[in-house]
Amino acid sequence: MNKPPLLFRSSLLVAGVCLLRIAFPCTAGAAPGDTNAAVISATAPAPASPVLEHKLSGAELYSIHCNRCHPERYPTERTAAQWKTIMLHMQVRAGIPGEQSRRILKYLQENSGR
Amino acid sequence: MTGLLTAGSALWMATPARVQAEVSDADFKALQETVAKLADEVQSLRQTNQVVQQIHEQDQVQLQQLQQKLAETQQTANDAQQKAVAVATAQTQPLPRVPLDEATVNHNFMMLGDAEMQFVKPNQGNGSFYMADFAPIFLYRGGDNILFEAGFDTTLSNNNNPNTNPPNQGAGYTTTFNLSFAQLDYVMTDYMTFCAGYMLLPLGTYTERGAGWLNKLPDNPLPVDELIPGAGAGVQLRGGVPLGETGKIFNYSVYGVNGVSSSDTTGNAGSLDLNGNVGPNLHQDPAGGGRLGIFMPYKPHYDLELGISGMSGQWDNAGNHIWTAGVFDAALHLGSSIEAKGEYIHTQFGSDQGNVAQDGWWTQVGYKLAGLNLEFPGINNLELIGRFDSVHGGYNQTDNLYNYSTRRYTVGYVYYITSAFLFEGDYEFLHSNDPSQVNQLILQLSYGF
Ligand code: HEC
Repeated sequence: MNKPPLLFRSSLLVAGVCLLRIAFPCTAGAAPGDTNAAVISATAPAPASPVLEHKLSGAELYSIHCNRCHPERYPTERTAAQWKTIMLHMQVRAGIPGEQSRRILKYLQENSGR
Repeated sequence: MTGLLTAGSALWMATPARVQAEVSDADFKALQETVAKLADEVQSLRQTNQVVQQIHEQDQVQLQQLQQKLAETQQTANDAQQKAVAVATAQTQPLPRVPLDEATVNHNFMMLGDAEMQFVKPNQGNGSFYMADFAPIFLYRGGDNILFEAGFDTTLSNNNNPNTNPPNQGAGYTTTFNLSFAQLDYVMTDYMTFCAGYMLLPLGTYTERGAGWLNKLPDNPLPVDELIPGAGAGVQLRGGVPLGETGKIFNYSVYGVNGVSSSDTTGNAGSLDLNGNVGPNLHQDPAGGGRLGIFMPYKPHYDLELGISGMSGQWDNAGNHIWTAGVFDAALHLGSSIEAKGEYIHTQFGSDQGNVAQDGWWTQVGYKLAGLNLEFPGINNLELIGRFDSVHGGYNQTDNLYNYSTRRYTVGYVYYITSAFLFEGDYEFLHSNDPSQVNQLILQLSYGF
């Protein structure tokens, strides 16, 4: 009984170390590929189909994420400063990458109640 | 003054002819003295006059200065008035919508949460109203990447409880105020957050997403409540890494917590305690766990999420036995009206009575009637829900058997009064070898604030 769980635990540890390696090289500055993507979206117009093929806007990311765990909460429900706090909460809870989270926050704040 | 002077000198000029004739020396002297006195007086009057003149000139200068100052003050007042008018005009016009300057709002405190009121009618039992939960969540954000979050559950219960064995007797009621989580999150990079405290565990996804107004049915799936711990004291690394530009995300978490424990220090199978070990740790080593998940959106409202998670560690005080759980979770959205989700949970642990294994699963499907595009009043606010859940195996202390088995079928609805004010109802059909599990009706008002 003791052996498989130990194996299981050590594989978790290995997985953890791999994850650390994934996460840390990317720490400096903005998300990699950011500028390229911006150029692409500026030169190529967004495709007419809603299928996700272009760099996602804050509004699109909002509609992708913000009603999958609970009914949608509308931007006008909170102030810009409150959204900053809630968005940090949701970023951690939902595992949303920081750069996407900032795009959603911008959308929420620009349409927020004051 | 000049008159006096002229009179004086006239007197002086007019007198000499008569003086020689009839004025004595003494009289002349007296007159001389008078004249001298008059001259002195004239002199002093002249001086006084000079002084008065000077004062007058000074007054004049001061007056001019004052007049100048007055003019300046009037100008300032005019300016101020103009400015005030400008401000008032600006204020009556809507300001452009700009996000608040984050330099001015660098710290923020909020209270969120939810509250639930229930009516429960078990088959052949009493119909009861409950203030089922008041669950405030406090958030404190310090700067851009530090968040403290704490959630509580407040519930009420009778002191007099006929369902306990022996029945509890007593007047009044008890308020239970429980900490459900309290954790500090430090967002280290875009892809990694460090958490510490008493954390909801990412063992499956239900526990982390189970707040009252999120959950479409009034109660939790059976295997979630019965097989795995809800929270643990420890530390965690978690985050999400984007896979390309289409919104796909790889999610991970790894954590170390005290882990499950024994309620009576022994390794007896019946003493397994899933939620008690908040500190000090009752066994030597902390437990470890984690989750790997992938979120794949195809377009807004169409997505699939899959995850695999596990946790393992000693559970009895002597550290002789290991408890392990593995969970597979999935969630699917097909448009804004169809949602399906579920989890499969397997747990096993060594005990003084031998190995005990349990498994359970639940699946829940929701359909929002708005998808039918019908025009009936209220129909677009209604979602129909079906859930199946089951738990098998485990150790049954009463008859010392590993035979627990329950299946439950639930049908229900959610009426969305607003997106966070829900009126839910469900009926649960139970098939169990545990006689305390009976069919029941639950109605619930749930509000997320
Ligand atoms: C992974 C699931 C998940 C996703 C995705 C998610 N939320 Fe949440 N959200 C939650 C949970 C769980 C809560 C309940 C609070 C808690 O348990 O801490 C919550 C609470 C909230 C609340 C607080 C309101 C209340 O009544 O408590 C707001 C506002 C909110 N979410 C907005 C959003 C927005 C905006 C997004 C889109 C970025 C979002 N959520 C995405 C899980 C999620």
